[in-house]
Amino acid sequence: MKYSYIEPRKKSPFTQEVQLMIAFFSITIIMLFSTYLFLLYKDYNFQKDQRSILTKQVELKKNIADMKKQIAFINKQEALGEKIYTQNSVLKDSIANLFDLVPARITLSKAKLLKNGLILYGITPNKDVYNFMLQAPLRSIFQETYSSFYPTKNGWLRFVSTNYVKDDFAQGETNSNEN
Amino acid sequence: MFDKIFEAMYAKVFINIIVKRFTTLVYIEIDSKKGVQSSLEKEFESVEFNDTMYEFIQEYIKESPYFYVTVLDTSTQQGAIPTCNKNRIDYYALVENIEYKCQNKTWAFYTTHDAIVSIKKKYATVGVDYIFSPYAILSDFFKDKIDSHLALYILVQENYLSIAIYENSQLLYAHHLDMMVQNDFDTIEMDENLDELPLDDDAVELDNITLPDEEEIEDFADIEDLDAIDDIDEFSENKDVEEELLESTDTLKDADDTKFNEDYQRFTLIQAAVAEFYKDERYESRFVENVYVADSVGVTNDFKKYLEEEMFFNVYVRRADLALEVCELAKKELGL
Repeated sequence: MKYSYIEPRKKSPFTQEVQLMIAFFSITIIMLFSTYLFLLYKDYNFQKDQRSILTKQVELKKNIADMKKQIAFINKQEALGEKIYTQNSVLKDSIANLFDLVPARITLSKAKLLKNGLILYGITPNKDVYNFMLQAPLRSIFQETYSSFYPTKNGWLRFVSTNYVKDDFAQGETNSNEN
Repeated sequence: MFDKIFEAMYAKVFINIIVKRFTTLVYIEIDSKKGVQSSLEKEFESVEFNDTMYEFIQEYIKESPYFYVTVLDTSTQQGAIPTCNKNRIDYYALVENIEYKCQNKTWAFYTTHDAIVSIKKKYATVGVDYIFSPYAILSDFFKDKIDSHLALYILVQENYLSIAIYENSQLLYAHHLDMMVQNDFDTIEMDENLDELPLDDDAVELDNITLPDEEEIEDFADIEDLDAIDDIDEFSENKDVEEELLESTDTLKDADDTKFNEDYQRFTLIQAAVAEFYKDERYESRFVENVYVADSVGVTNDFKKYLEEEMFFNVYVRRADLALEVCELAKKELGL
């Protein structure tokens, strides 16, 4: 200051009114901006949730498909099991019937159950006992029956009886059983 | 940086307040980058700062945040001193608690601290940015002369006379005079006169008056002894012809009764001030021939004539619009 006794007051375009207006607008802008940010965050969060839900949905759908597959497999297994059980029951009955079929004088040493046949190993006192008491009922069951004998040291006969059901017959029987 | 950008965007409003004898002049100038945008002035019938003035100023303050209120110091206890030395200030300024502003490291103008506080208090509602001394105005107004001339410079206001004598921009003497206050010069003169002058008319005895001898009268009439023509030539050499030419276009008014009284009062004050300058040992005496008057009130021809005829000065009167000068100084202060 060269001439004046006092320093001039500091000038600023930001008068009290302008400062008030700036403060008001700043607060408004800050509030709007914070609301915008909040909404952005919420939107982001919502989209994130949505994505996560969609992923879960896909996962669950996949799981459901897997489970459906498993159920189908289990159902098949069940059906198979039942079938096996039935077959086993049938087999059991057949074996029971077989053992019932074998007379007391003949002793079985081994029996082989085939898909379409039965091979019996055993000892018979003589051919007649075998022919009348075992071969006759076997022939009624199987279409083809082959017997072979060879003597043992004590004079009894070891026999091998091979019995087959003909394929056509067996198939026809299966069909008739299914019906 | 931002301040400068903002400053460039807004116009500057200069509010200049000049307190006169019975009125207050408010001069407002709005400056843009291109120059003076507009200016106006209004005179209020009060010397106090009132609501009307405040409302008038407020209207223009609103136009820009960059407004500057300038007040011309009118306190009586102000002046100028021919030193900047702190220890020497008391030698010249006989008032306490002063605020001063040094100029050219050689002289300073001063006022009292109370006067500044009082001005600030008076204009507290609008605030004050600059307070100028009449000496700052005077030195700026006659800058072209002060730098190279030895002369008496006077700023004439309605109420005040700011008298200063400069020699090549060095202040030799200054006195701020209030026309409304009975000043020191008057008191001294009155006291001396009271003792010496006979108040009773009867006491003056014409018979006691002795006329000089005829021889003595003849001596006075001897033109060769006076060498008067040479003296006149010397005076004429010191005349400021340039200023005279400038002045010739600006003719002064003739006096009416009021003006005459005021101008006579001014003349007596100047006369006393010059006498003080020559007599007072504190001041370095120089023979002053030229007087430059910054006239803000419209002094009459008689004023000039008095100074020229009674004190043998070469007087040059320049019209000064005080408000405009104050405004110019405010602009200079702001660096415009």
